[in-house]
Amino acid sequence: MPDDELGAHRQELRRGTVVLACLLALREPGYGYGLLKTLEAAGIASDGNTVYPLLRRLEERGLLQSEWNTDESRPRKFYTTTPAGTELATQLLADVSNLTKSLHSLNGRS
Amino acid sequence: MSWTERYLATVLRGIAEPRRTDVDRELRSSIEDAIEERVGAGEDRAIAERVVLEGLGDPSALAGAYTGRPSYLIGPELFPLYRRVLPRLIAVVVPVAFFVLLAVKLSGGGDMQAAISSGISGVISVAMQIAFWATATFVFLEWAGPARQARSELVAATGRWTVERLPKVVDGRISVREVAGEIVTVLITIGILLFVASLSTTTASNNEIPVLNGEFRTIWVPILLALYAMRGVGHLLAYNAGRWTTFLAFSNAVIHVAIAVPLVVGALGGMIVSKVFALVISWPGLASGDGAPMLALAVGATLASGWEIVRVFRRARRAQPIRTDARIVSSSA
Repeated sequence: MPDDELGAHRQELRRGTVVLACLLALREPGYGYGLLKTLEAAGIASDGNTVYPLLRRLEERGLLQSEWNTDESRPRKFYTTTPAGTELATQLLADVSNLTKSLHSLNGRS
Repeated sequence: MSWTERYLATVLRGIAEPRRTDVDRELRSSIEDAIEERVGAGEDRAIAERVVLEGLGDPSALAGAYTGRPSYLIGPELFPLYRRVLPRLIAVVVPVAFFVLLAVKLSGGGDMQAAISSGISGVISVAMQIAFWATATFVFLEWAGPARQARSELVAATGRWTVERLPKVVDGRISVREVAGEIVTVLITIGILLFVASLSTTTASNNEIPVLNGEFRTIWVPILLALYAMRGVGHLLAYNAGRWTTFLAFSNAVIHVAIAVPLVVGALGGMIVSKVFALVISWPGLASGDGAPMLALAVGATLASGWEIVRVFRRARRAQPIRTDARIVSSSA
């Protein structure tokens, strides 16, 4: 299979999970670039141009809350998942587990 | 001014307050974090800055992601409606506009040729105006915040798609009624041609003056009769074959061109109606190539042949057997 074919499908799969990944990761407060690193370390590499705007959208919908931290030399905006966000994440995580199970059972049938 | 400053300025240009200041601070610190990390790993600062900014990509796309502004003109929600509306709008308005323009020019005392050419150029600009304004309306519905409500109402009003909306499938089969109609048309045309060729008037000095020009009557009328007969035969062959094949459609096109060319050339050259006859009935314009009757004949013959050629080709294309790969593959089961 050509590389760009695989890449395109992977991107499609990840697009659906990046919201869930952010909501889960930000149960511990985190800021933009730090979150990128956290996701990368967890094996869910994502781009800044996807994640940074996404954080604001999630905040506007009340799934994240934010606070500026100006204690350090560089001011950083820290995001934390709200109770509503946590609830959504729990449901989505269950969905992902079910999906994975379903896919494996489809795979096991042949 | 550094690359980062220029990048931020470009992103922020697309973002209004109250978000603007906040996005500025946050994006700035994210970019600096990323640069810092690369510099810490031993990279040159200038190179690190470039890599980080290029990684973030086109600033206007990033601004669009922040504001949620679409990066397309007409989205998938409205596009089907746009596709349906625009061609219909043009198909309805253009012919009406053509005849209105023609009538206006002719009633203003213009001759046929000038009226037709102004009709055609007028229609082109009308079609372009329609396409532009219809597209602009849809883009407005897609983009303008206040139009969001109107957009969802519009989409709801055009309704859910149901199977009744499927277009009728025309399979290109030729019905008996259709071929009978064609044969009758051909016979009537041949009858009219023979009738006109036989018409004449008698002058005071008892001379018989035929309506048609001598050469046209003796050479071209028989050829046209033969061509019309061939046209009828073509329709019979197509009926026999069940559909217009590509070969038959081509033959049909050749016959129509062969019919139209002598008519148009003869009409514009003033070679169809006898000049003597036109003088006798004191209507010289009747025989003249730039008189209204002959211009109308030339335009009419062109339009009629063009229409028939296109129609038959479309029928032929629709009648192509649909290729299906419905072979049943025997599975291992």
